[in-house]
Amino acid sequence: MTGTPVAAAISGREADGLTTTAVKALRAEGRQAEARDRYAELVARHQRRAGRIAYHYLHDAAEADEAVQDAFVKAYSHLESFRDGLPFDVWFTRILINGCLDRIKARTRRERWIQPVGDAASGERDLSERIASHGPSPEEALLAQERRRTIAAALARLPERQRSVFVLSQVEGCTSREVSALTGLNESTVRVHLFRAIRKLRTLLGPEGAQPLEATHEGKRRVTS
Amino acid sequence: MSLLEHLGRRGHLSDRQFARVWTEDGRDPHLQACPDCQSRYQQFTAWLDGVGDDLHADADAAFPAERLAAQQIQIARRIDALEHPVRILAFPRAARAVIAGQSHARRWVAAAAAASFIAGIGIGQMLDLRHATALPPASVTADAHLASTTASAHAIGVRTVAASAFDEDFLMSDGDTLARPRIAGLRAIDDLTPRARDLVERASR
Repeated sequence: MTGTPVAAAISGREADGLTTTAVKALRAEGRQAEARDRYAELVARHQRRAGRIAYHYLHDAAEADEAVQDAFVKAYSHLESFRDGLPFDVWFTRILINGCLDRIKARTRRERWIQPVGDAASGERDLSERIASHGPSPEEALLAQERRRTIAAALARLPERQRSVFVLSQVEGCTSREVSALTGLNESTVRVHLFRAIRKLRTLLGPEGAQPLEATHEGKRRVTS
Repeated sequence: MSLLEHLGRRGHLSDRQFARVWTEDGRDPHLQACPDCQSRYQQFTAWLDGVGDDLHADADAAFPAERLAAQQIQIARRIDALEHPVRILAFPRAARAVIAGQSHARRWVAAAAAASFIAGIGIGQMLDLRHATALPPASVTADAHLASTTASAHAIGVRTVAASAFDEDFLMSDGDTLARPRIAGLRAIDDLTPRARDLVERASR
């Protein structure tokens, strides 16, 4: 599931455009197996980012996993309606976000009637943290884990739109124009939501609430139009 | 923030203004000129990047490489299933044939059977009605039978013999039948059998 050398040499969006065109052409010719193989390249390129977005929406790794799968399958089955020239990631992320919102609605309806027995997400988290925690010392890992939980809890207290805008712009590095395309909000509205989200997080976490990690400081993201 | 800090920062940019500057264009005349605010703004952006990085790392930890690989396989499988829909095996086999109803002949046979059944019920009802109209009402028949029974109850002993003679005449009226050659072999048995008329005459003597 790796991209071709040609695709690796060009930018991600151009590669996406080439791949989607190729997949559509292969499907039109009835070469389904080859179309699936080419589509797997798109999956490999976008699944990590898709997983992050879904995880921040749903706060549950298993449900986020399902939401990502659903979004990729849906995108494949509706690929004919995707217009060439548009960024695939924007189109796909919109499908994903809509799916996540549907799941949140369904979950809200479900929880109105069914009392959850235990925190499934925490068990999942513990396993993933055990898998991932072979770098720093136990104390550092514990502190990092605590800090992440604090931030995640603060993020969860934001209104839905503010949270979406903050995650897309600050975690995924989307520009306000891209966030606007993904969420359907105006660019100015995106900026207002982002401003309010930052202000609220600053209040909830405080200036010392989340000190940046040394190792993860190389990529700075900015929201520009 | 203490009161002293607050007073000391009067005229400088607040966190709220930093957020506004960050979300807009990152330019502010005071920020350009004030080294103190520049330093604080750097801390602010570092804090914000730290929050983003932590959230990033948190989500990445939830999706390790093994999970991503399994996810890829699962997506490929589901797409494959989209193109090759699952075959539904009928169980039991006979039930499928009846339910599926793909054969037109079977449909016609079933329809004809149903029509015949309904027609049979209808005809049966009509015949019953005819019989009902031809016969007298059941209550009238019962009353007449009861009256005749009570009226003749006294003369039963005499009439029994007469009725038996009448029955014998009736049975023997078809003499031609007995005269037919094909039942001539039965005559010997007939001769051996005592006749009811003889018995009645003997009794009356």
